[in-house]
Amino acid sequence: MPELTLTVSDPAGLHARPAARFVQAASRFESHIVIRHGGREADAKSLIALLGLVIRLSSEIVLAADGPDAEAAIAALTMELAPYLGSAS
Amino acid sequence: MVGLVLISHSSRLAEGLRDMVAQVAGDRVAVGIAGGTDDGRLGTSALRIAAALRLALADGAEGVVVLLDLGSAALSLELAMEELDPADRARVRITEAPLVEGAVLAAVQASVGASLAEVEAAAAAAVTLAKLPRG
Repeated sequence: MPELTLTVSDPAGLHARPAARFVQAASRFESHIVIRHGGREADAKSLIALLGLVIRLSSEIVLAADGPDAEAAIAALTMELAPYLGSAS
Repeated sequence: MVGLVLISHSSRLAEGLRDMVAQVAGDRVAVGIAGGTDDGRLGTSALRIAAALRLALADGAEGVVVLLDLGSAALSLELAMEELDPADRARVRITEAPLVEGAVLAAVQASVGASLAEVEAAAAAAVTLAKLPRG
């Protein structure tokens, strides 16, 4: 299951608009996609789940995907998040 | 796709919220509004609500999720629902969701092609969304 660790670099964290864009982008993939943060895991295709993680400045998050298009999903979603995140690994 | 109808006692509140929802969820989701009375005062109008529901349902929508600003809109909504054909009425889901958070969450799920039940659940889940950062 491909995964990637990222660090939020936007002072406002992952707020409503980018989170909504992310959910829309994630929903284009068949794979099960999650974001993990602070010991919890959220379905990347659900805005309420994502906002519930309370991702803020300097939060480290793990993006993981499982399914036939998992690699493509990770690549596309990393691009989607690029304006808000710095890559940590 | 599932649409939304936002009911407010204030037409300006409903219009402003529609703008916010469009900015967050994009403009592909049909968001109908029914704000204020027929003569432009603060209040709700069964006629305006029925018109918004019919418009939202006519758009080939799978269904419509309805959100209210205050419970006193429920009576007008009930009257409006009685005006609809039973088949249309069956495609309407009325939620207890807080108006702003519910509208945003529901619209985003609708924008990704979620089902009527899923969009309704997204709106309902809005009560769990914290306004202030915790910890």
